Amino acid sequence: MTQPVSRTTDALDVRLDDVTVRFPAPGTELTAVTGLSLEVPAGSFTVIIGPNGCGKSTVLRLVAGLLSPDAGEVRVGNGRPSAGDGRVGLAFQQPRLVPWRSTLENVALPLELAGIDVAERRTRAADALERVGLGAAARLRPRELSGGMAQRAAIARALISDPAVLLLDEPFSALDALTRETFDAELQRLWMERRRTVILVTHSVAEAVSLADRVVVMTSRPGRVARLVDVDLPRPRPVDLTGDPLAAGLAADVRAALATSHADELRPWSGQEAMA
Amino acid sequence: MRRLGAALVSLAAFLVVWKLATVIGDYPEFILPAPEEVLERGARAVASGVLWGHTGATLLEVVLGFTAGATAALLTGIALGKSVLVERVLSPYIVAAQAVPILALAPLLHIWFGGGLLARVVICALIVFFPIAIATMVGIRSTDPLLDEMLRSLGARPAQRTRLLEIPSALPVIFGGLRVGVTLAVIGAVVAEWAGASVGLGVLINIANQGLFDTKLMFVALAVLAGIGLAFYGLVVLVERRLVTR
Repeated sequence: MTQPVSRTTDALDVRLDDVTVRFPAPGTELTAVTGLSLEVPAGSFTVIIGPNGCGKSTVLRLVAGLLSPDAGEVRVGNGRPSAGDGRVGLAFQQPRLVPWRSTLENVALPLELAGIDVAERRTRAADALERVGLGAAARLRPRELSGGMAQRAAIARALISDPAVLLLDEPFSALDALTRETFDAELQRLWMERRRTVILVTHSVAEAVSLADRVVVMTSRPGRVARLVDVDLPRPRPVDLTGDPLAAGLAADVRAALATSHADELRPWSGQEAMA
Repeated sequence: MRRLGAALVSLAAFLVVWKLATVIGDYPEFILPAPEEVLERGARAVASGVLWGHTGATLLEVVLGFTAGATAALLTGIALGKSVLVERVLSPYIVAAQAVPILALAPLLHIWFGGGLLARVVICALIVFFPIAIATMVGIRSTDPLLDEMLRSLGARPAQRTRLLEIPSALPVIFGGLRVGVTLAVIGAVVAEWAGASVGLGVLINIANQGLFDTKLMFVALAVLAGIGLAFYGLVVLVERRLVTR
């Protein structure tokens, strides 16, 4: 059953316990993740990193209640995840805005589905847009927004029910590098204002180290946790950590973990032996 | 305004070609009457009141048949689009019914449904059904799966997904089906009248053609039918412009 959407939920912890997910593939079955266990403390910022197809997005879909595990257990707080209960917000790689709705109506969609009346919907959606700096774009259609604006609207939509857990599936990967740095900084600010549990999936080592309390490196398919790297850098962290020796060391750790767990994918292109 | 102008020019050109054909060919009146003769015959039919009754009867059949057929088609199309099982079970019958000529089916339906207005509405609805149902199914299936997943992540129930996403996504395609369907409704009404009716433009065509050998009156009836088709088609396009905003 759908629980009422509350605005004052405390952060919740997320646990995956020995989880296996299989997908039907033509003539066979594909194991996306297996034996995956992960604990995400309440209010922490966790970044999952790994190449394509390692089951990162599967983890988010499990926590969002879009997928049920074939084995093992997923818990958000004390309950099973259930899509639409307002405890979890999910933002995708693409903004996924409904093209015939205004930006405001798009952001208000979660509240509309939860049966909240129009007046409250509008106020809260306007607030959410204000928080991501899109107050002036409320009446625009998605096609009138730039890629960055659309993605900000999508984040406002994910935040509108004030979820205890925020899941971000490579949310900035389609943006240019400069916009992306700004968004990372804004994301950190939003999180420091309101310490909800965040799980962010990325390909970027720099992004992982600059945002995470803990970086989870995943193995290739079937995915499981290869290594955890704790990032004890003070906050707020600057957008660019390239000069920071501690950050550089942690980034090197993450890269090393990626290299050992994805030896095939990350092997250099050149050289005869590499081709063998 | 410009669109109207283009339509008027094209109508004028059509009448000129028609007139030229009658002058050059010098056909007997019962084969191809001149446009002004048809117009004059039409004026007489309007004045005598003959045309009104027949036109009204056909209009009623078109409106009721199209409404019934389109409503059934939309509901069926949504079910077909949402469920592969429903499609597998129903589509052979729908396709078979469509493949059987309506002209052959009409006399049977005429008997089954009592030979009155109901029978004619059913025949009309049947011919309208197919293009709209198929368009709706295809439209529903064309829903962006990424948007669908987004809605599911927000806990949207199937009925909410249909209302908020699938139907709006399908609208442009559905309107394609409605445009085809509304012109078929006019054909359906005439076929239904031929299967048995005492009044209607189809009946008028029969009377003019076989009873009176009045080719001019037949052309009048054909022109009114074409006008009805154009008017309803235009109406569908107007509604489409208001509803489909992209």
